[in-house]
Amino acid sequence: MAETTVIGRTAFVRGRVNGSGDLEIAGRLEGDVTCTGEVTVEAGGLVAANVNARRITVRGAVKGDLTADDAVVLEGGARVVGDLRAPRIAIAPGGLVRGHVQTGAAGAARPRAASSSARAATPARAAAAAPAPAKSAPKAAPSRPAVVAKKAPPRGATLAGTRPGPPPPVVPALKKGTKAVHKKR
Amino acid sequence: MASTVIGAGITIEGEVTSDDDVVVQGTLRGKLVAKDAVTVESGGVVEADIAGGPVSVGGTVTGNIHSSDRVDLQNGAKVIGNVKATRITIADGAQFKGNVDMDV
Repeated sequence: MAETTVIGRTAFVRGRVNGSGDLEIAGRLEGDVTCTGEVTVEAGGLVAANVNARRITVRGAVKGDLTADDAVVLEGGARVVGDLRAPRIAIAPGGLVRGHVQTGAAGAARPRAASSSARAATPARAAAAAPAPAKSAPKAAPSRPAVVAKKAPPRGATLAGTRPGPPPPVVPALKKGTKAVHKKR
Repeated sequence: MASTVIGAGITIEGEVTSDDDVVVQGTLRGKLVAKDAVTVESGGVVEADIAGGPVSVGGTVTGNIHSSDRVDLQNGAKVIGNVKATRITIADGAQFKGNVDMDV
């Protein structure tokens, strides 16, 4: 149902490209590409972007990281400056790469998205828990982490068990005339 | 023949510049400048100013359309924004809200 998006030879796209379907880049693209289909950088294509897709085929020039769920294929005229991460990587004779190449670890793209949202949950929760007891506004803290916890249940379960820290120590007001020596800590 | 097609499942947030035709079937937010024809097909959503040659709208455009030639709004089109063109047609069923400047 989703069709191929073609960025023509004379076109220049600057920004974020997201979506389903296949993407063929014959022109210039700067920004970020996240696609669930196949991304092909044609021979005249110039891409200055990180590309995340199911399968990436490069025949042109790319400056950016290529992360695929399936395979990254660099054909004869490909020139890539950036990291390649995919379960299968193929570099044909003539292809040029400068960067870190990592095969194997499948699904480098998706769990990273999940773990980054969980990591974002952790500082949000930690930041929310710290001022909560001091300000006695605990309502603000559970509402935000509760929403994020649904996205990453394992992390959310551990963090939900965190109780707010001990209340800050109460320093008794010193009245005039009291023996401050004994009361001071 | 080097036309740019923004497919149905794709969302582009940013600028698209082309010397050739642009066909939008997906979503585009930002800016669209083409030297040749621009077609927003039914189902296409453009939240951007469009500048180009002949512009044909079948989908939704929220933004100004600045054409060097003609602008056609087809049945099912929805345009919210000003249109500057030398010729314009608004088909029965198109929805339009904005000014029209035909450089008279």
